[in-house]
Amino acid sequence: MSLRHIYVITKKELRSINAEKTIILAILLQLFIAMFSSFLIVGLAAMYDPDTLSEYSRQQYPVGYTGSPSPLEELLRESGDFVVYRMDLATAVTALEERKLSAVIWVPDTATDADDPVKITLYTIKNDIQSSVVNSKLKDVFVTYEETLRDIRGDRISSDPIVVNLPPEVPGTNFYEFVYGLLIPLLIFMPAIISAALIIDMITEEFQHDTIETLISTPITFAEMIWGKVAACFVIVPIQAAVWIGLMMVNGIHVAGVVPILLHVSVASLLMILLSAFVALHYRERTSAQFIFSTALVVVLIGILSLPANPANLIVLLSVGAAGSGHWIVLVVMAGVLAVGMTALNRYMHVVERTALQ
Amino acid sequence: MLPPLRQILTIGKWEVRRSATIMPREILPVAVALFILLIVVTGYTQESGIHLQDRMYTAGVDSADTGAIILGDPRFTVYSGAPVVTDLTIAPPDVRSADTDRGGAALKAFQTDYIRYLTAQYNREDDLFAAYPLWIDIRYVRSELDFTATEAGTGVSGAPNPYVNPVPDRPVRAVDDPSPNIGYTKEELRAELVVSEGEDSTVARYTDVVAGEGALGDFKTPSQLTPPLPFDAIVLVFVFIFPLYFTSQFYMMSVMNERIERKGEILLSSPLRPSAIVIGKMLPYLVVMIAVTAILSLTTGETVVVLVSVFPVILFFLAAALLIGMAARSFKELSFISIFFSTVATSYLFFPSIFANIHVISLISPLTLIIYAIEGTPFTLADYFYSTFLFWVTAAILFAICIINFNEERLFTLHPLQEKVREYIGSAISEKHPFGSLFGITLFSIPFVLMAQLMLLVLLFNLPMPFSLVVLIFAAAFIEEWAKSVGIYALSVERPAFLTWRNVIFASLAVMAGFFLGEKLLLFATLAQISESIFGAALFSSLQVLWLPLTLHFTGAFITISLLKIFGKRVYPLALVAASIVHGTYNLYFITGGF
Repeated sequence: MSLRHIYVITKKELRSINAEKTIILAILLQLFIAMFSSFLIVGLAAMYDPDTLSEYSRQQYPVGYTGSPSPLEELLRESGDFVVYRMDLATAVTALEERKLSAVIWVPDTATDADDPVKITLYTIKNDIQSSVVNSKLKDVFVTYEETLRDIRGDRISSDPIVVNLPPEVPGTNFYEFVYGLLIPLLIFMPAIISAALIIDMITEEFQHDTIETLISTPITFAEMIWGKVAACFVIVPIQAAVWIGLMMVNGIHVAGVVPILLHVSVASLLMILLSAFVALHYRERTSAQFIFSTALVVVLIGILSLPANPANLIVLLSVGAAGSGHWIVLVVMAGVLAVGMTALNRYMHVVERTALQ
Repeated sequence: MLPPLRQILTIGKWEVRRSATIMPREILPVAVALFILLIVVTGYTQESGIHLQDRMYTAGVDSADTGAIILGDPRFTVYSGAPVVTDLTIAPPDVRSADTDRGGAALKAFQTDYIRYLTAQYNREDDLFAAYPLWIDIRYVRSELDFTATEAGTGVSGAPNPYVNPVPDRPVRAVDDPSPNIGYTKEELRAELVVSEGEDSTVARYTDVVAGEGALGDFKTPSQLTPPLPFDAIVLVFVFIFPLYFTSQFYMMSVMNERIERKGEILLSSPLRPSAIVIGKMLPYLVVMIAVTAILSLTTGETVVVLVSVFPVILFFLAAALLIGMAARSFKELSFISIFFSTVATSYLFFPSIFANIHVISLISPLTLIIYAIEGTPFTLADYFYSTFLFWVTAAILFAICIINFNEERLFTLHPLQEKVREYIGSAISEKHPFGSLFGITLFSIPFVLMAQLMLLVLLFNLPMPFSLVVLIFAAAFIEEWAKSVGIYALSVERPAFLTWRNVIFASLAVMAGFFLGEKLLLFATLAQISESIFGAALFSSLQVLWLPLTLHFTGAFITISLLKIFGKRVYPLALVAASIVHGTYNLYFITGGF
């Protein structure tokens, strides 16, 4: 096997990826998915966490208070988030339907120390974003009132939980888990998945276009050609992963363990590319190969994520700087698997060459 | 020659036979095996959970009892007693977090764990009503904002007057006082509380879509009162749209296969019409997609509504698959264009539907109709028309373009994508009536322009107001200018001599008329509501005064075409930017009523 031949093929494939602008589409796609997932998590979560929206937290919401008087009314006024109106229930509900109120509360005349619980009825607008904000503020008041009632009924409680004084929340930590625990592994593994799909297209195309015979009539052997394609798909993975990490850093997100992350991604992506090369060589036809590959990919991804200490988890730990030195052992084991896979693929190539191309 | 319907059926039969022979026999058992594996793996994952964020944090505790609080949380590695530096140190009643981002995040994770721990304690309390003295019964009231309401500030915003009770405009409807009794026994409530222990309420909601409400319905303790995320739509996207995308891939590939090694030449030289070939090849996949949708809809009920809502989407996916299959140069290009298309199309479908019941914008997605049907919210025929109109029209136009271009020249030449698009458009321009063709192209580009602009509107909807509006105005202007000039661009590349100054002016006039008419037609057909809001004004500012928008559409097109004439086709992108700046500035001026 000649390295120079492999290099020629690699260069040819990379040039065609560049000429067809597929790589640009691939990067755009990743960007779109990243933007979309961060909108879903950060954007929607911000809507439900009123403190992150300073505009909302200054606002006072009109709330209708109906039914019997109770300490709750005072708690609502004290919170400063609400303007409380004493009203009758029917008027208040109609006003709520017209959005002149944000919520209506009905309180029964159950005594605070009664045997039965106090059952409050909350009228709210279904599936509404703004009422979700109002509800999360009402929740705080309700929880305070629950604690008051629980104190009043305290002598009836027998358990004795450990008491912990929770310090105030550290601001700016809301999306830590999203960024490190979801976005980073997502962005880092996406190039690997894309490359694995790419190798199928490259290999099946040669078979279906019957260009394979022309190719191997040149000094380049069949195996060299396949390895050249694998190499072309592989080299773009760590580059893309490094660019994503770089962009994160530019945005002030510190990523620890960049080098080990890139090593792990390289090994994992090469394994995935080998697997899909097997599939492609077996079927030699795009529809079947892509179908089997994408179904298998979903199975493998779900399966891997359900195992403890999986590669994605390892990337998370490395990026927050919480991984011990144990990950090197994982890397060595994976590299061993990779070596076995490469030998197997090499052998399989010769089988395919003998049976399919004669 | 066979009648058209027979032609279609014949091709359909061939297609089924072909795909049965081309797929290796072993595919089916492998697919079945993978499917069974998928079910097994999914089951296992539900059992063991997703281990993505395991061991992110470290915590030091003073005793095993304290450690029990976070024992069930895989995010923590717990050290007992040993003097290690950890993200979180818990020695009741004190908790200290390290002064790092990770420390802060660990503290946040601990807070939820602590609340869960307390809940578990209280749930086993003998006197449940002492531990949980307060219960909230939630009753939902229906109220829908339209675009004008948000804009005019008739929402809940604006400082309420604390001294005057709000008075409803409508007559007051009688509402019965709710019962003060809880209506459930202690043990019923306890059972429900224990079940919901450790279960995330947002996750619970996913399953509710199919499984229905819990035993107690909307009856909660205060800490369970987390606002529901409107994520039903995600489930619907995965359930209904994903199989569509998957199946349309096969159609795409079948079309592509005809082009490999000119295999489709035999078909083209037969007396069959291109339309019969295209539709006949599509038929099996269409049947499969409808069948799959019908089967899936059995899980939610409402089969009829699901089918009529999803059908235009199926057509749209197939039309796009056909176009991509006809235009892609290589398998790689096919893969990426199709993945990219499906991502964008999926987000277009999914995005508005998360606003279901909140805002009329949600109705631009047919998925909203499905959500309505599942929830039992009634909707009108007009709503159906409104949400599916663009899918019907764009699918029809895409099919028409593909059928016209389904010939040897287009199928068997390999040109870059931009050139392909130009060729497809160029094929729609007749030699004799170039201006009439330009008029037609612009007219028919309107649904696509609208889809793109609505996508923009949806994406920019939640940005801070002045910023989103400015971005929207210029981006929308860019899309319009592109649609207006693309026909002339195609023409000028094919026949450079066409661009005389006289023709530049006439072409601009034709484009102006086409765009204006199309905009009017579509607006009166569907989008009256959107057009009344300020966002609508940004998109369709042209309807207020007649001569102004006509001048605007003319000027925009004229700028692009003149620049093309003077500097050649390479400046096309720059010419577009120049025209959109003029167009956008005008719109901005018009909307703000002067700067």
